[in-house]
Amino acid sequence: MEQNILRALERFIVREARGESAAITNARILSGGAVQENWLLNVDIVGGMHAGSMECVLRCDSPTAGVAISHGRAQEFALLKTVFTAGVTVPEPLWLCEDRTVIGRQFFIMRRIAGTAAGHLLVKDGRYGGDRVQLAERLGHELARIHSVRPPQSALDFLPWYEDAPALHSVKLHRHFLDAHHTAHPALEWGLRWLERHAPARGVISLCHRDYRTGNYMVDESGLTGVLDWEFAGWSDPLEDIGWFCAKCWRFGKVDQEAGGIGVREDFYRGYERESGHSINRDEVRYWEIMAHMNWAIIAIQQGERHVSGEEDSLLLALTGHIVPELEWEILNMTEND
Amino acid sequence: MRDRPTGEELLACARRVLREKVLPALPGEHKHDLLMALNAMSIAERQLHFGEAPERQELAALSALLDESFADPGEANRRLSSRVREGGGDPGQPQRTELFAHLRAAARQRLLESNPKALNGAIT
Repeated sequence: MEQNILRALERFIVREARGESAAITNARILSGGAVQENWLLNVDIVGGMHAGSMECVLRCDSPTAGVAISHGRAQEFALLKTVFTAGVTVPEPLWLCEDRTVIGRQFFIMRRIAGTAAGHLLVKDGRYGGDRVQLAERLGHELARIHSVRPPQSALDFLPWYEDAPALHSVKLHRHFLDAHHTAHPALEWGLRWLERHAPARGVISLCHRDYRTGNYMVDESGLTGVLDWEFAGWSDPLEDIGWFCAKCWRFGKVDQEAGGIGVREDFYRGYERESGHSINRDEVRYWEIMAHMNWAIIAIQQGERHVSGEEDSLLLALTGHIVPELEWEILNMTEND
Repeated sequence: MRDRPTGEELLACARRVLREKVLPALPGEHKHDLLMALNAMSIAERQLHFGEAPERQELAALSALLDESFADPGEANRRLSSRVREGGGDPGQPQRTELFAHLRAAARQRLLESNPKALNGAIT
């Protein structure tokens, strides 16, 4: 970061933290994704409610961002605030800056959490995440906290609202996408028809993370340190998140560990049920696991298309497009008999 | 007529060099990039191996299923998609079994090229 930007950030932090002075002693980029950038900031604050040394992360749009489906910084900040208040373990959101004149882009600053989120590491290496029974229970517990957020929430009025059953709503959106796409996918159409015919009615609607899976939470050696990646959050059937977490396509190859490749399904369920006070309908979870494969297939087509269309030359995106056949295969296997 | 080695053979040979000689010498953060590149080369190799035959078979199967001749599988798959969406493959429909068998065969062929390991139940 350039000196003038660092000085502007220090002035912003002093004002927001109501301190006397703030000095950024270190600033380095942690990850520069296609959509967001994350910067690690070490800040020494004198005076005010945050006096002392602080490790934070500044999150802003990447200069080339253009994906319309994920939330903007102000919205992501509002989501973090809401779930932090609801008792979900997330990086504490500190300050939002919507004024683009400060550093040229909107950003917010949150407290840094430590650990790793890499799914492939987590399922293979027992050093991460601590005791696996506890981790699975804890992830269930955290998800129940997320689902304790119920509409209406004025701070979240940017989340799209709809009146139909969440499952049918997803089917409709996926069909819209496929109709506009250049290549037909009859196997996905088969899956969508099955999902339409078996769709559960609209029941309880809650805030859903909608990307709650291994790879999107952070752990250290002793356990969970935070739930990440809130950009797809929205109102839905709570079972959508449970199905997404348990779906075979998100076990990173550890198919016998049905809770996200890291644990046993019943441990995850126990943590959820204990915290929410509701029992999970096991049969309906299966429906949402099929929906999970469908959602992932549609996203994989979209990711592949970002490469194919020339928008972004990326081997990762190109290969993501080639995940679609295995998702179709799973969908066909799961929907063959009814 | 092209000389051998064919494109498929060249890719297989290049992959062996990359996997056996280059991969072990790479620092950790670049191993993942090379593994992705090897995966991409494998997919291309398998597509070359099967050539145009699967697409011709798919077109013939679609024409038989839909009882209409099509110039390309894209158009035929759009027609099949509408039929499925309208319920033509629902339980009790006369074409259900035939239609599902076609979808499975087409998916299987796509998988044989993209990730044949997934056919044995392994999923990445």
